[in-house]
Amino acid sequence: MNNRRPPSTGTRSSRKAIDIVNAGLARRYRAEKRFRFYGMAAIAASLVFLSILFISIFGKGYPAFQQTYIQLDIFFDPDILARDALTTADYPGLVKQSLRRMFPDVEGRRDKRMLYKIASTGAAYQIRNLVLDDPDVIGKTIGIWVPADDDIDMFFKGHIPRDVPESERRIKDRQIAWIDHLIKEQRIEKHFNRILLTAGDSREPELAGIWGAVMGSFYTLLVTLLLSFPIGIAAAVYLEEFAPKNKWTDLIEVNINNLAAVPSIVFGLLGLAVFLNFFGLPRSAPLVGGLVLTLMTLPTIIIASRASLQSVPPSIREAALGIGASQMQMVAHHVLPLAMPGILTGTIIGMARALGESAPLLMIGMVAFIVDIPGGFTDPSTVLPVQIFLWADSPERAFVERTSAATMVLLAFLIVMNAAAVYLRKRFERRW
Amino acid sequence: MDAPLEHTDDSRIAKASTVASETVKDQSSGRILYSRDSRETVGETFVDNPRMSCRNVDVYYDDKHAIKNVSLDIGRNQVIAMIGPSGCGKSTILRCLNRMNDTIDICRVSGEILLDGVNIYDRHIDVVPLRARVGMVFQKPNPFPKSIYDNVAYGPRIHGLAQNKAEMDELVETSLRKAGLWEEVKDRLDQPGTGLSGGQQQRLCIARTIAVSPEVILMDEPCSALDPIATSIIEDLIDELKQQFSIAIVTHSMQQASRVSQRTAYFHLGDLIEVGETAQIFTNPRHQLTQDYITGRFG
Amino acid sequence: MLSKTIITLTVIAFLATAGVAMAGSARDYISIVGSSTVYPFATVVAEQFGKTTSFKTPKIESTGSGGGLKLFCAGVGVEHPDITNASRRIKKSEYDKCMANGVDGVIEVKIGYDGIVMANAKKTAPMKLTRKDIFLALAKDVPDPNGGEKLIPNPYKTWKDVNPALPANKIEVLGPPPTSGTRDAFVELAMEAGAKKFSWIKAMKKKDKKMYKAICHTVREDGAYVEAGENDNLIVQKLNANPKALGIFGFSFLDQNSDTIQGSLVDGVPPTFDAIADGSYPVSRPLFFYVKKAHVDVIPGMKAYLAEFTAEKAWGPDGYLADKGMIPMPDAERRKFATDVKGMQSLMLK
Repeated sequence: MNNRRPPSTGTRSSRKAIDIVNAGLARRYRAEKRFRFYGMAAIAASLVFLSILFISIFGKGYPAFQQTYIQLDIFFDPDILARDALTTADYPGLVKQSLRRMFPDVEGRRDKRMLYKIASTGAAYQIRNLVLDDPDVIGKTIGIWVPADDDIDMFFKGHIPRDVPESERRIKDRQIAWIDHLIKEQRIEKHFNRILLTAGDSREPELAGIWGAVMGSFYTLLVTLLLSFPIGIAAAVYLEEFAPKNKWTDLIEVNINNLAAVPSIVFGLLGLAVFLNFFGLPRSAPLVGGLVLTLMTLPTIIIASRASLQSVPPSIREAALGIGASQMQMVAHHVLPLAMPGILTGTIIGMARALGESAPLLMIGMVAFIVDIPGGFTDPSTVLPVQIFLWADSPERAFVERTSAATMVLLAFLIVMNAAAVYLRKRFERRW
Repeated sequence: MDAPLEHTDDSRIAKASTVASETVKDQSSGRILYSRDSRETVGETFVDNPRMSCRNVDVYYDDKHAIKNVSLDIGRNQVIAMIGPSGCGKSTILRCLNRMNDTIDICRVSGEILLDGVNIYDRHIDVVPLRARVGMVFQKPNPFPKSIYDNVAYGPRIHGLAQNKAEMDELVETSLRKAGLWEEVKDRLDQPGTGLSGGQQQRLCIARTIAVSPEVILMDEPCSALDPIATSIIEDLIDELKQQFSIAIVTHSMQQASRVSQRTAYFHLGDLIEVGETAQIFTNPRHQLTQDYITGRFG
Repeated sequence: MLSKTIITLTVIAFLATAGVAMAGSARDYISIVGSSTVYPFATVVAEQFGKTTSFKTPKIESTGSGGGLKLFCAGVGVEHPDITNASRRIKKSEYDKCMANGVDGVIEVKIGYDGIVMANAKKTAPMKLTRKDIFLALAKDVPDPNGGEKLIPNPYKTWKDVNPALPANKIEVLGPPPTSGTRDAFVELAMEAGAKKFSWIKAMKKKDKKMYKAICHTVREDGAYVEAGENDNLIVQKLNANPKALGIFGFSFLDQNSDTIQGSLVDGVPPTFDAIADGSYPVSRPLFFYVKKAHVDVIPGMKAYLAEFTAEKAWGPDGYLADKGMIPMPDAERRKFATDVKGMQSLMLK
């Protein structure tokens, strides 16, 4: 623009068009280069933030997949394990007995309590289950790996330094001496933390697992999927293909778009008012959680489905109508299958959002301490993001790494779901 | 054409010349040279025993008057070509013939369109069987993203035209044979129809249309997306199909119209200007606008 | 396509009926709601109870004391919770609401104490505060330092301004938001007590209770007090990043993080286990839970849960709750409440 000359036929004709084009070329390429740079900078910035997030979560979380175990020689004392009362026998006593035998010089009530704290309270449950499974062990002495207490675990993993004054450590000098003894005897080791992946919640970090939350999320999302997918598609198909275009359908459309932007806590309030107070459904149940999340995901699915239906080329509709398909047949046989990849993507994105949601579940009682792994749609349960929230708020140091580990599991599920979206898209996508 | 019809049209020409405000007549031939305001159609609008006939059809898109009082017959077992410059309404009138315009909310049709004497715009007429009787082939080949077999079988399947698999196989084969595609695809019926070449796709669409045994086939510029060889194959096919079906074809190509059709209708800005035997339209048009168009003065 | 729709509809109908049916039938686990302060202690008891008995593990929701009492007092029946935890005593208005809704047998169980600490990072020296200092540093309006019985917007920028004995660090306190029970207790136990040191404010309590409350309980909003969310772990982390700042949270978090943070002395007393237990540390509050008597014989395991909670191995000085940071009651008080629970003694508020 800047080098435009006054219109003069003489110079115009002497300058060929190609010269003018060439003169501007450098500027055009510069603009293109600049734009590419901006684009790459934007991508790089988001990659940096993503990797910071991942590195911090993975860095904190990976130690949680290992847990410190101590090998105890448990003598299954027939005096304690009376045959007729195996379920209620003094199993903690067995653990204490074996610890005392290992460190016979520990005297005094205080020191003994300190010694007993080395092993997790879960050790007693572990031994109990062992005895109940196989009562023949009674009378024998068996070396058993039991989880160490969370403080010992933190110390063994190096999160509690040795060099601070004893009064400021949760691990006392005597305990350190015992641990060093155990290390020498190779009776303390880090093993893969199966408990984290298979157990329900616990207040003892070494016994806490996410399986309960995973199952809760599963049941909740199953309800959400079973409801929101058919309802969402039906609504989208009706609005897009059948509904007359008038102010009522406009109003509905505006409302659906609005609902997609409503903060999720509002759906929780709605769920509290309608499902719990009016219908009297149980609190903390995946059924209600699923219903609430359905309300939340429906707008997303409807909007994605409508966009997807709109993108089906009119030529396919005409082809079907042209040989005498009814409106319904046209939609069901041709338009819907072609729109399916987009609808599935929208649904999975909606489900992924539902998987990561915790705010609306607060209102319907799914933010709760639940130890037992839910086995159905009405059992009390919690979900993965809520579990992360609860652990993040726990005072025990060992929950810090477990919070990150739970986040890693949640991220893994999200990645799997999004990969499924990509796969389904590829699988069902057809050219026309 | 027989005498009385000729007579009617002559009288129309006469009437047009008196009504029009700006009409110039060639003194030697009696041809209307120019008639800007003439809304009267020149030529043989009606045929004996028509398959379909339009009577005083007006089409509006909202306020836009797209088709202005058009009357036209479509004869049995013959091809009628509809020609005219872009935006003249030729596709619009074609899409009225099987009520494809119903899908456009703002489109409004008045007048009568008769199929075997029954008004298809009558309240009790169901469009589903209507479209089975009046099939349509579109400008761009639009096979379903399914197998070749399913493309052809789809229509018969939804209408329940085949009792069993054997019947369906037979129906698919005869349809593909009629469309001249059988030899090319018989070994790959399970492959997607979208994998065929453009010309093959268009013939597949024709096979799909004739599989439901329509009485009329409407073709909306069926060759505009095809190369000359594919075009000539389709044109030969159209020529054969007229043995069995009545065909209305909209085309941009005057050569094509002259090659495949028996009658030709020339549209201009929503008016049907002239209709007559193809040979007559292309050799001796009676209206100046037709003359201008076929000689390439505009269009 | 049609058959799919039918299947889906059937599944929905099944789910809906299953849900309604389940809601109507008896609940076989204890449902507990209430204070987030008591939550870490109640959950330990619940877990212990679930693992050592044949009953299901109770479900515990952290709803806050007020939210918990609201749910608790909504009525009698399996859809309402059996127990609510509270980090303060039930209010008369809440008690009345319970009565109005037919919840007339409520057993009050005091379980122990919780200290609220003001702490900073170990990198700096511990603060020696008085409750008056806390009030002057954190209240929105403070008495005019030039004397007279009038209030001015808080002018203090550093701790030295408040009290010349304190270091010249900027006042920066990270604490919980108003929705938190910890915040309620803190303003009541620390700030209000500090305000009472001014005799004219104390006198106001009788004359204009509203005004008195407003003076004592309103925290400054000029940035010196930072609402750091309900997550106490977050506050602990922020203290390590910012050694000059003080944080407000429950004693259990100080207990768990004693290697990096230290509690400030309040009125000369450090926030230690023993000082809170014997009552010499001033900023501590009792913790309670309330039991619905009508549910005791309906929901399986209620009596066993109460027995577990009130056993010496749980709430005693050497019990597992003390390990988690709860401050036990003196022996006599423990005995009194244990007897009350055994005798199903209903709470009576006049």
